Amino acid sequence: MTDTSAARTLEEAVPLGLIPTVFQPRLEALSSAKSWMGWAGYQSAVVIENMEFEYFAIRNQSTLFDVSPMHKYRIQGPDAEAMLNRMMTRDVRKIRPGRVGYTLWCDEEGMVIDDGTLFRFGPDDFRLCCQERMLGWVLDAAWGFDVQVTDESDTISGLSLQGPTSFSILKDAGLDAAAALKPFDLAEIEPGLWISRTGFTGDLGYELWMKNADGLALWDRLWDAARDWGLKAIGFEALNLARIEAGFIAAQVDFQPIHSTLRLGRGRTPLELGFERLVDFEKDHFNGRRALLQQRQKGLRTHLVKIELGGFKPSNGALLYHRKTKEVGHVTSGAWSPTTKRNIALAELKAPYGGQVQDDLWAEIYVHEEGQWDRRLVPVTVQTSPFFSHPRARATPPRPF
Amino acid sequence: MGQHDTFDAIIAGSGHNGLTTACYLARAGLRVLVVEKNDWIGGAAVSRSLHDGWTYSNCSYVCSLLRREIIRDLELPRFGLQVIPYEGGATFTREGDYFAYYSDHDALNRELARQNPRDVDAYERFSQAVMRQCRFIRPFLLRTAPDPTSLKPRDLSELLYLVKKANDLGARELGETQRFWTMSIADFLDEHFESDLVKAHIAGGGIIGTGLGVYSPGTAYVLLHHYMGDVDGTIGAWGFARGGMGSITQALAASFESSGGTIVTGSGIDQFLTKGGKVTGVALENGDVYHASVVASNMDVRRTFINHTAESDLPSEFVTAVKRFKTRGSSGKINVSLDRFPTFPAAPDGARFLSGDMHCSTSLQELEKAYDDWKVGRWSQEPYFDMLIPTQIDPTMAPPGKHMMTVFVQYAPYDLEVDGVRSPDNWNETQRQAFATCVFDKMEQACPGIRDHILHAEVRSPYELEQEVGLTEGNIFQGELTFDQLLFNRPVPGYAQYRTPIGGMYLVGSSTHPGGGVMGAPGANAAREILRDVGKGQAMPVYTD
Amino acid sequence: MSNTTQNFDAVIIGGGHNGLTAATTLARKGHSVCVLERSSVLGGMMSVGGAEAPSFTSRLAHLLYNLNPKVERELGLRLNARNLTTVSLAPNGEHVEIDGGKARMMDGALHPKAVAFATLQTRLQRFATLLSRLSLRTPPKLSGSWTDPETFGELMGLAGIGLGLKGMGKVEMREFLRALLTNVHDLMVDDLDDGPLAGAMAADAVRGSFSGPKAPGTLFSLLYRLGNGANLRAPVGGMASAVAAFEDAAARAGCVIKRQSAVRSVLVQGDRVHGVELDDGTVIHAKAVLSSIGPQATINLAGIQHFDVEIARRAKNLRAKGTAGKLNLLLKARPEFSGLPAPLHQARLLIAPSSDYVEHAFNPVKYGSFSEAPTLEILLPNAHTPETPQTLSAVVGYMPHDPPGGWTDALRTKAEQQIMAVLEAYAPGIGDRVQHSELLTPTDIQTETGAAGGHWHHGEMGIDQILNVRPINGMAHYQCGVEGLYLCGASAHPGGDINGAPGRNSALQALKDGAL
Repeated sequence: MTDTSAARTLEEAVPLGLIPTVFQPRLEALSSAKSWMGWAGYQSAVVIENMEFEYFAIRNQSTLFDVSPMHKYRIQGPDAEAMLNRMMTRDVRKIRPGRVGYTLWCDEEGMVIDDGTLFRFGPDDFRLCCQERMLGWVLDAAWGFDVQVTDESDTISGLSLQGPTSFSILKDAGLDAAAALKPFDLAEIEPGLWISRTGFTGDLGYELWMKNADGLALWDRLWDAARDWGLKAIGFEALNLARIEAGFIAAQVDFQPIHSTLRLGRGRTPLELGFERLVDFEKDHFNGRRALLQQRQKGLRTHLVKIELGGFKPSNGALLYHRKTKEVGHVTSGAWSPTTKRNIALAELKAPYGGQVQDDLWAEIYVHEEGQWDRRLVPVTVQTSPFFSHPRARATPPRPF
Repeated sequence: MGQHDTFDAIIAGSGHNGLTTACYLARAGLRVLVVEKNDWIGGAAVSRSLHDGWTYSNCSYVCSLLRREIIRDLELPRFGLQVIPYEGGATFTREGDYFAYYSDHDALNRELARQNPRDVDAYERFSQAVMRQCRFIRPFLLRTAPDPTSLKPRDLSELLYLVKKANDLGARELGETQRFWTMSIADFLDEHFESDLVKAHIAGGGIIGTGLGVYSPGTAYVLLHHYMGDVDGTIGAWGFARGGMGSITQALAASFESSGGTIVTGSGIDQFLTKGGKVTGVALENGDVYHASVVASNMDVRRTFINHTAESDLPSEFVTAVKRFKTRGSSGKINVSLDRFPTFPAAPDGARFLSGDMHCSTSLQELEKAYDDWKVGRWSQEPYFDMLIPTQIDPTMAPPGKHMMTVFVQYAPYDLEVDGVRSPDNWNETQRQAFATCVFDKMEQACPGIRDHILHAEVRSPYELEQEVGLTEGNIFQGELTFDQLLFNRPVPGYAQYRTPIGGMYLVGSSTHPGGGVMGAPGANAAREILRDVGKGQAMPVYTD
Repeated sequence: MSNTTQNFDAVIIGGGHNGLTAATTLARKGHSVCVLERSSVLGGMMSVGGAEAPSFTSRLAHLLYNLNPKVERELGLRLNARNLTTVSLAPNGEHVEIDGGKARMMDGALHPKAVAFATLQTRLQRFATLLSRLSLRTPPKLSGSWTDPETFGELMGLAGIGLGLKGMGKVEMREFLRALLTNVHDLMVDDLDDGPLAGAMAADAVRGSFSGPKAPGTLFSLLYRLGNGANLRAPVGGMASAVAAFEDAAARAGCVIKRQSAVRSVLVQGDRVHGVELDDGTVIHAKAVLSSIGPQATINLAGIQHFDVEIARRAKNLRAKGTAGKLNLLLKARPEFSGLPAPLHQARLLIAPSSDYVEHAFNPVKYGSFSEAPTLEILLPNAHTPETPQTLSAVVGYMPHDPPGGWTDALRTKAEQQIMAVLEAYAPGIGDRVQHSELLTPTDIQTETGAAGGHWHHGEMGIDQILNVRPINGMAHYQCGVEGLYLCGASAHPGGDINGAPGRNSALQALKDGAL
């Protein structure tokens, strides 16, 4: 079908399909399940060996999850703080250098574009990490400010080291300076290696950030140090279970990032997601502020809440009812929590349910086992405190296990 | 000597809309006749073999807009229709580079980043905007347009439906929708993208078949018109009908005949016959006469009423309005038999993106200049073309190892200017060859030496299109898709619901809402109106959003 | 004057006619108002600008035809202007005089299409009058439910227009809905055949726009210009006297007007304005700030951090590429246009001999270039008094605002030569009578008036940038987001020309919002 007269060696101008991160050789070698998915165009593990054992490693020993595909944007310059403060709902001035803040940002109608973590390296030096592609938005938000924006997504690698023995591994790897890190602290532990006490598991853990070229060396160093402490490479499924226990929301699951929704009315505001504490109406204007003020006055449409359910069957996709008859919401992320031995979920309810009205709520769970569908109607109670909370996650200096 | 037969309904013209109407009427139990001037059926959805061994989609060439509902209602797959989505596409530059429109989303992102890092996000934002517009407009396609001057309950309720849909958008989205529908595609692209090449690749869809330039207001809508189709639910996807576009009309014809319908070919309409303000039948050029109390014309509104209806049968304002309806031809078509696959030096070996739509226009300015050339009656010196080689995935159109290429060109004038005189009569073999030369010269940008592989080429200007297919001035949409000719203005205000001033006579082609492209929607909507009028409204399926 | 503070209810940024209108409207309702003009002359595009002698009294704008009569009345404007007829010049001498709906040849005979033209004009005027009802209202927001009082009011307003539409009868209503968004070329040529008559209408539709007559939406531009009856007037004493009338009305109402007072920033606290700071450090406190300088400049003065990202992006994308230039000539004697009787030298003269000509004049500007056959709208202000110094005032279409390499001296010379060549063809000998000439390009107009792109309307009046999306979606109701900050110039609804509605409407909106 093509010209064979000349040797054709032209390759595609860009790689097709998924591409590997720097850690893929290690993950490939460790993976027996060969279960991969695409994350920002990168190959990412769903399960390495066995999801259950990977999960328990998070809560018992230590785990490594490759977060390199995360989108990362460096924002530097004299106006960096002002620019970010106009973009974010929280007061960025309160995130001091050497700290990391969890933050949300909205469009002009107050709908959440994405959530992410804002790392502050210095007074005028930040990095934003988030799930959704964000370069266009950050550049638009930067216009008119004296800042420089660099897309570090493909040049900075990241590893998430999470679990009760995670500090012990760092210590044995010669990174014991991390002992001083309180939750959400950030420091350059070694030249070119930044460590933040952050993570997606709600447990003791750290995220390590480095240039691509330094990735494999660090991986090997951590594995060598982990001999006494137990370390497993994990995939997303195990991590997802842990983050539900921690009560953390996930984009595309618990809310729809407004810039990727096609249907109208699917966006959610930070207030509707339960993040009033991260919206600072006292500071100067930020994107969506006026719309959020209006919503605060008129009332929310929905409430995203933590719930506990009866029974033992995981509730993903379940519909929620008031008084067993009126459909008032659905489960967005549900799971049986192995650590807390409770049936838990994040759920979206139509206001006032989940807000002013919290009683007499039920979930209709469809269970499919061995070719048969069963329906279970179980009671639901709204929770205010976290499902999983352990002091080891906050202890400074951290405990060895 | 002349045939004198009576039917319940006669459809003039076997284009895809006429056949669609015919099918629905036949299924409702009417005795239906379709008359066609050519020896073959299909109008502009035809596959013909003009060079032994090769089949061309002579006019229309890709399928997306054909409504799923119609395909299912008329059981077209049972009668042989198969549409295969194609992937990829590219625009080739003079410098030996390209922008490839990969169907693989991750590859596309990287390719966009290669053009300009900002354009990855720009494309997301652009896609979201266009998809939202598609979702907004799709429910309106299979609904009859409301008459805003009428107080009839049905019109009021349709108007209310429109208003409610618009209101549901909310103020911000309504503003964005308003802007999108009134903007030029170039301005819309300038608001999103940085790369001129990416903009030019996308902008072509805004001028296909249209006598407007990329910077003319309303061309963003034309782009929408080309995105709002789907292949099996993937909105915006395009595909090849296996065996060429003629397989669509062949399937329609087969479905029609299996419902008891009759098709007569070889002689066109001479006159629509009327008595006392009502239609009574048709008289063909060969002397045959057929009678029916329902007659539907698949021809465009001007050809129907100016060429084949007595002016005395029509109100004078109607005639004025019909004469004012713009059907400016702006497109050429070249169908090519190739003895082997062309060489694309810029493309990687076995590049899959070559199986999609390919172009060589690399900037918005170039596209706008192409339009300026047409305005003064010349074909574009640097034409835009939509070029595909379907035989990469459709094995039915050429012998094994050989290929068929379809090239749709913008712009070519109907009334060609030669020595200061503008006239369609100026189109002769010399001019056609000169036009083809201009196109192939440009094509060298992508596949140099293409001419060495050409075994046969069919070159058509708007004039040939008019002569063969009957599209007035060669306008492929049976009328421009500008605001003054859309929705309740299409084809003329007051007659935008398929009915005409003559009782029992209807229009069912692309001159009616929702317009052109191989959609079938005008034909289906018209069938619904006809069946209502003859008391068989229940026979028409009801479509919900 | 530095570091002193003053207090007003409202501060107006920009002393053009809209700024003065906004100021007068507020002052007449009893509020203290201060107008701040950065140059030494008032009037914006109506002004004589910063020219050196000889000064042309209609240096930029030279005609009134779209002044809103309600604005004129409410302000108590004391305008002295004479009515003009129009002559569309033909290269072969068969000029057409156009007076309202009448079209006559030079010998007095009716134009061959006079009847069709009269019918068309009547219809267009009817449509334009109906649409003009929208001019004196803030565009509808329709953001609430139907029972929300503000939304209900908006719907009633629209219903009124709907009823007006139905009142026209089915045929006219259908034509309105068809023609509203069509292009002026097809509309004219369908009914009139192409020639000086169609050319004049086409030219009037697109003057100042970045579009030719074949572009969809250009009929709307014409309807906008007919919206106030298209009463063509030339102020006695030039446009400068009209500016004086606006200033007089403002002063009588009690407005304080400061010239050479450039605003450095708009002061914002707690998402609300509280005044402005001038270049020299003076702070002027005010409860409301109305800005006539366009959205981008206004955003810059207030600080981009007070605006949503989407707003900033839209303001950046606002299309404002000016296409109108101005040629002012001082002549030794009045020019003689071939085939034009002496009295008609006092008319508005158009060189737009066909709609195709106008389209042809437009094409090059898309590529940053200038046609060798531009359109011209010509006034000879002193034609009726040949003993006084003779001038020629011509609006030139189309000149690129940003030609590649910029408006160099060489390019200016070339452009001027091309224009003079056209004039020479219609008025032989004019070249020899030129004592002094001045060519203002859109870039010059931008420099002098601050209008983005030197654009006639401060922002393209395309159908995607009008009404509830003018100047941009989210800033289309005079309100800017920051409380007390308003847009009051041509970039706001309804648009440009010497009109006054934006100024008036924005002032009324500010009052309605309780900003003062």
